Amino acid sequence: MDFSFTKKEERFRLELRNWLEENLPTSWPKEEEAYISFLKNWQRTLAEGGWAGITWPEKYGGRNATLMQEIIYHQEMVRADAPPSINYVGIHMVGPTLMQIGTEEQKERFIKKLLTGEEIWCQGYSEPNAGSDLSAIKTSALKDGDRWLINGQKVWTSYGHIADRCFLLARTSQVPGKKHKGITVFLLDMNQPGVEVRPIVQLDGRQEFNEVYLTDAVCSDADIVGEVDKGWQVMISLMLHERAGIGAEVFTLEKQFNNLVAMTKEYKVDGKSLIEDANIRQKMADLYARSRGAILNYYRNLTNTLKNGQPGPESSIDKLLVSELTKEMLEFAVSIQGPHGILWKEDAPINSRWQEKYLYSYGTTIGGGTSEIQRNTIGERVLGLPKDLRA
Amino acid sequence: MMDFSLNEEQEMFRNYVRKCLNEAGQTMVAREFTCGNTSEFIKLQKKLAELGCTGITISEEYGGLGLGALDLVPVLEEFGRAVLPGAYLETMAFVVPLLEKYGTREQKETYLPEIAAGTRSFSIAWVEPNKSYDPDVIECQAVTKGSSLVINGVKTLVPDGNQVESLLLIVRTDEGGNGDGLSLVLIDVNEVTDMKTLSSMDETRNVTEITLENVEVPMARVIGEVNQGWNVLKEGLLYLHAATSSMLVGSMDHIVEMSSEYAKIREQFGQPIGRFQAIKHRIVDMKLDLETARSLSHYANWALDTNQQDKEAAIYSARTFATEANIRLASHNIQNHGGIGFTMEMDCHLFLKRARFYENYMGSISQFREDVSKGLGWSYEKPRFQLTSK
Ligand SMILES: Cc1cc2nc3c(=O)[nH]c(=O)nc-3n(C[C@H](O)[C@H](O)[C@H](O)COP(=O)(O)OP(=O)(O)OC[C@H]3O[C@@H](n4cnc5c(N)ncnc54)[C@H](O)[C@@H]3O)c2cc1C
Repeated sequence: MDFSFTKKEERFRLELRNWLEENLPTSWPKEEEAYISFLKNWQRTLAEGGWAGITWPEKYGGRNATLMQEIIYHQEMVRADAPPSINYVGIHMVGPTLMQIGTEEQKERFIKKLLTGEEIWCQGYSEPNAGSDLSAIKTSALKDGDRWLINGQKVWTSYGHIADRCFLLARTSQVPGKKHKGITVFLLDMNQPGVEVRPIVQLDGRQEFNEVYLTDAVCSDADIVGEVDKGWQVMISLMLHERAGIGAEVFTLEKQFNNLVAMTKEYKVDGKSLIEDANIRQKMADLYARSRGAILNYYRNLTNTLKNGQPGPESSIDKLLVSELTKEMLEFAVSIQGPHGILWKEDAPINSRWQEKYLYSYGTTIGGGTSEIQRNTIGERVLGLPKDLRA
Repeated sequence: MMDFSLNEEQEMFRNYVRKCLNEAGQTMVAREFTCGNTSEFIKLQKKLAELGCTGITISEEYGGLGLGALDLVPVLEEFGRAVLPGAYLETMAFVVPLLEKYGTREQKETYLPEIAAGTRSFSIAWVEPNKSYDPDVIECQAVTKGSSLVINGVKTLVPDGNQVESLLLIVRTDEGGNGDGLSLVLIDVNEVTDMKTLSSMDETRNVTEITLENVEVPMARVIGEVNQGWNVLKEGLLYLHAATSSMLVGSMDHIVEMSSEYAKIREQFGQPIGRFQAIKHRIVDMKLDLETARSLSHYANWALDTNQQDKEAAIYSARTFATEANIRLASHNIQNHGGIGFTMEMDCHLFLKRARFYENYMGSISQFREDVSKGLGWSYEKPRFQLTSK
């Protein structure tokens, strides 16, 4: 058993830390439009510094980083409170998928631009009647001469309002009784007349996801990833890339817990720190145990991945545990602020981030596969329990 | 280099132990034990000693393997899986580390080789009737007489007092307050004036009460310094609770296996019950608890062996989480089995009762949480143990 990092890994950490010290933006704009260009700038700075897509081969602008270096990368980004990646979909999902199964032309056209943030990507999976059951999508793509015409509606499309491209699932043929068949992945240009984006406001007041209406939107053969009608396999391989991103959430959980400890020491009610209250302290000890448990589980799964060369279905355990625990922890963080905890924004008793993060956390047990779907996956793929009946 | 897993030798040792326990009939040994038939257990104990289980943490010069807390983990997990009776935990994860660290040469020579050979085991005599674990309420007294100690008092909730050869006894040797004035004494069970077995929910472990009337033992039986026993005991508790967590993980491992296997074969409404999400998702949540407890306990034992700064927080985190999770899992397991789960016939009840045995064993959840908070430096509470009027 060993929790240490090799000398080489520590050098990597130091190099990144030094780079962050020099390049981390000091002030974050509040206003929406300014914030977006701020995030785009940050993406470009990362790419120019060689700190985006680090696991990619050098010829695509990466640095061939190992899995452990990727872990360190997440640790350091969280530690430094670095701005979020605005091209998360592009870098963590589309890029790796194209490198794996894209054509040379697609790699040429897209990879560099997504790394630098010149082109922002979104993920067009969910539809009004296809959420957990993604195979029920109805958006259709029909061949019309040498182009494809796409019609339908997508929903909950994160970054859709700022995206230049969409990794889109559409139905190209009907195979009765086999909903997974006949789906194709398209790389859709969002900047065209057939694409209309309508923002949706989230419960935390922010606007990050959208409805996307497609009316004779156009794609060409060159925009298809993999083979026509075989998009389901492409999607599955992309999902594995998405899972690798859980590391960032694990370290964020750790950081938020530490922030919570600091808060319970500093915040005083009637002259007494919250941590002096035995009930709060007991619950904090419980949350400590469980967050440590989640982090250690992650390290144990990581060890397996390092040994086997690829992640197993256990990564669903990490996603489920970390998202549910984060939600519970933030709920507690707001709850212990007492009656004043209902206030937020400029009137927040401590810092509105607690209230905002708390509300935001409700999305984490829905997006990327709901907790119930994760439980199905774990039950069926880890424990071998009988599969749900699926129509 | 990052490697959070047990090593090959540790896993190999686990396999030997599991094979040995399987051959003995797994939980059958505990079942027989609860019916008063201890012969199977005694046979098994011999085999386990031959395998080397009783020498793991004992240094090589006294006939052991000279290994650490982490090496004990797979064995404890396997014992927990089988709800094995006996005082292995108290012997290997409490008395042995204390003897190794605080024992005199003579004490080590007397006890360690016999423990390694499996011919001597120890239990702990701490709590007194109707009292808590608070050191300052201890009344059982030892007074000096020449080069001897004369002990008087009653100790209760002594685990498996009737299964062991020796006891580690905590006695008052001076006026106290905040744990002062206590000493630890090694006594043999046959020196005890009287012993009775109490009725306990968990019949896989016997709970006994001992009476000591003018029991005279040589001063050389004191382990650690006289009047400093509480600090020594607290150090031993780190080993004990780290190990207890592993034992609990073993039980949970078996519980999750029972529930998932049953959910695959039991059919209702024309389908296996594991297809119903009320069952499936509950078992998944049980699995999450199991793996979290396993991670926490592996880390805790590693932190203990390598003397990490966070060892106290790590150990008591593992202990609180594993304890509560074990009760939760044992309860769910009964529900998942329906009517058959409510019978003596199925193993479900063994695990529930065992879970309760360890709940308040050598401490309480709320106290362990205070230990976590103290370990992390965020404790603000008044001194934990207040003087009670005598
Ligand atoms: C913050 C956020 C960002 C998102 N970003 C994107 C994005 O960029 N692109 C995109 O395509 N989608 C995105 N989504 C959509 C997300 O993937 C879906 O919301 C999710 O898959 C659930 O689908 P649904 O909303 O249709 O809910 P439903 O599938 O209708 O689920 C409703 C409830 O039923 C439960 N349920 C459904 N099926 C089962 C079952 N088999 N067993 C048990 N319970 C079940 C669910 O768990 C849930 O509790 C995002 C969602 C959120 C919250």
